[in-house]
Amino acid sequence: MNNVPRDLINVRNLSVRVRATGRMLLRDVSLDVPQNRITGIIGPSGAGKSTLLKCINRLIDLVPSVHVTGEVLLDGVDVRAKSCDADDLRRRIGIVFQQPVTFHGSIARNVSFAARRLGLVDKKNEAQVVEESLRAANLWDEVKDRLHHAAHTLSVGQQQRLAIARTLAGSPDVLLMDEPTSALDAASTAIVERTILGLRKSKTILVVTHHLQQARRLADFVACLCSQDGSGTLVESGVCETVLLTPRHAETRRLVGIVG
Amino acid sequence: MKRRAFNVGFTAVAALAAAASVALFAAILGTVLWRGFDALSWSFVSEGMRAAGAEGGIVYQIAGTAILVLTAVAAAVPLAAGAGVWLVMYAGNAAKRAFEATLHAVNGIPSIVFGLLGFAFFFELLGLKKSWLAGGLLLALMILPTLVVAFVEKLRSIPQSTIHAAFGLGLRRGDVVRTVLLPQGVSGLLTGTLLGIARAAGETAPILFTAAIFSGATIPTGIADNPVLALPYHIFVLAQDSFDPAMRSGMWGTAAVLVVLVTCASALAIPLRLKIGEEAARE
Amino acid sequence: MTAVVCLAVGGAVLYLVAGSLTALRQEGWAFFTTARWSYRHGEFGAASMLFGSIAVALMALLLAVPLAIAAAVFLSEMCSRRVRVALKVAVELLAGIPSVVYGLLGVLFLRDWIAALFDRAGVDALSADTLLTAGVLLAVMVLPTIATLSDDALHAVPRVSREAARGLGLTRAETIATVVVPHAAPGLIGAVLLGFGRAVGETIAVFLVVGRADNRELSLNALFDAGQTITSKLGGSETNIAAGDPMHGSAMIALGLVLLTLVLCATLAAEGLRGRLAGAR
Repeated sequence: MNNVPRDLINVRNLSVRVRATGRMLLRDVSLDVPQNRITGIIGPSGAGKSTLLKCINRLIDLVPSVHVTGEVLLDGVDVRAKSCDADDLRRRIGIVFQQPVTFHGSIARNVSFAARRLGLVDKKNEAQVVEESLRAANLWDEVKDRLHHAAHTLSVGQQQRLAIARTLAGSPDVLLMDEPTSALDAASTAIVERTILGLRKSKTILVVTHHLQQARRLADFVACLCSQDGSGTLVESGVCETVLLTPRHAETRRLVGIVG
Repeated sequence: MKRRAFNVGFTAVAALAAAASVALFAAILGTVLWRGFDALSWSFVSEGMRAAGAEGGIVYQIAGTAILVLTAVAAAVPLAAGAGVWLVMYAGNAAKRAFEATLHAVNGIPSIVFGLLGFAFFFELLGLKKSWLAGGLLLALMILPTLVVAFVEKLRSIPQSTIHAAFGLGLRRGDVVRTVLLPQGVSGLLTGTLLGIARAAGETAPILFTAAIFSGATIPTGIADNPVLALPYHIFVLAQDSFDPAMRSGMWGTAAVLVVLVTCASALAIPLRLKIGEEAARE
Repeated sequence: MTAVVCLAVGGAVLYLVAGSLTALRQEGWAFFTTARWSYRHGEFGAASMLFGSIAVALMALLLAVPLAIAAAVFLSEMCSRRVRVALKVAVELLAGIPSVVYGLLGVLFLRDWIAALFDRAGVDALSADTLLTAGVLLAVMVLPTIATLSDDALHAVPRVSREAARGLGLTRAETIATVVVPHAAPGLIGAVLLGFGRAVGETIAVFLVVGRADNRELSLNALFDAGQTITSKLGGSETNIAAGDPMHGSAMIALGLVLLTLVLCATLAAEGLRGRLAGAR
């Protein structure tokens, strides 16, 4: 491997505790995420995969019932420090959820929803940004003639690609994807996977998935999160092929063995 | 920077509005209780009225309100229980929607219209003159939606699995109602009743023409032509002559008693409602 | 049992309609457009009261809606769960205070404050029992209703929508303004409509502070003068007097029908909007 990418994100000893019960959603998770590659996060349900994602862009701040400790370094800077502006961070890190979220208004308005308010586009280049984002999300051809139609008239698969386009409009360096194809049918899943692969090399991407096949198709590196004693812990990580074909940890073996 | 300023300002405005609303509530409640406190004494709640409200106590007003409320509850609870069970167990979809629309409509009817219709029905049609029974039944109709809604909310929170299990044991619908729905739904009915009591005790308009008079009545001895005194009506009449300072004490005292009664009834319903809300959310 | 209730409601509506016919047949549309009500002369034009009812309700909404929705935003979006529950309880207890007590407070306090306001503003008024007074009092009375229903509407917006907006880098205020509130709009409008219905239907409190003067002109100036609403007319002694005379009685019933129609339309429209909230998107 001559083109070893540097690590853009370093998670160090991240722990998330539920205040009321003391239960640890994540326990002492440390993970390095290489830049401009796709890192898959696999593991059984309830192992804290979504929680991990939300810690990276500090959406976890919206949940006051948990307490977070540890570091999350983005380009060497701890995003959890007080001096880091969470809103700005979230502009630099995009997130797509399992449930496609559509806002009120037209397709075009959805794409430029945040970009407009954040001052990233103005009247002159808005149309161009909208088109570029939709192209990158593999949605342009299907909607180019009805950009001003209401966004909720799109199918679920299209709405998810719209969500991706909306995230891309802000030109984030990092893309977090929490089970992005779980709610989609096979055809839409294929298109979204193609989109993700197309964004590789230009964005650092983390994809949470519980389909090992998907991880194999998409990810360069993979991290396996499992629930041990009720808390999510990182059991193994490394190059995708290596981990999935020759897992070293018992939990990973179990995970790979179940689905095959 | 502009965005951050907007964020801060927005939060401040919202917080201020919430604080103002709470302050309003505190001021209203506080004023009534503070001023009424002076007028309250054992004799105030145990003696009858003298000098058209300027002296004496409000025992017969309390009694009258109690009679009206008890009548209303006695009539409304069985009706609500039946309606609730019917809605959840027996009604088809169309009937359900029609009934719920009717409930919403009845809930929206202004109390004065209730009073007028009651007047027309009991007074003119049935020739009852002013009667505690007329007032009580009218109030029952008014609070019926509140009871039904609370009861049905609780019934709907009973897990489907429990009901299916009961049927699976071979019980028929009537038995399931008796052994599962009613026992588990009782707290909802109780909640609704408490809320209904609070509402019935405080309403003036329905009893304006049908049941209440200002003075002269004590405990009713029959049905027709047997009006009662009532706390809200008492305040209503006194308030119209508010320029007379001698009446002030009576006004505040009565208001305090009424507010305490109504707030306590509502407050008692709260823990039950919170529990029902949690159970419903879990389902 | 339930059939009895439905029949009763249907019967009541029919009674109102049938009872109004005599008066309506005599007056025709003039019932709604003429501002001349004098039962002694057999004249029944309810425009003045219609104006009063709607003016008073609109004033109440003007004052209460901004405050209520702002408070609802705080309740739903900005405070912890425990504080929210406590505040909602307080708001509901406020809504439970009997209207006669509000009327009492209006008579003993609000009246004087409005009189002082008139003095300072140089408004020449005989007394402070005016449409404006009733409007302000109603604002306080409908505030809890609108606030708690608005809070329900806002709270029903799915969590993912907020997360998606924040995830894009929008601030909390921007998220609320551009995502949450638009999403909750039907429910919010429903809340306001229900507040309107309550304000139009309120009798006792309005009766005590509105002045109960008939046949006022329909103008902005009339707001600072004594006036009459449909409810304050119905709650007064004329109802008893009308029982004797068929035409008069019919006119009063017609008033009741108008009131009922207004309130029912607002209520049913509101419930429709709020119900739609549950099914949409």
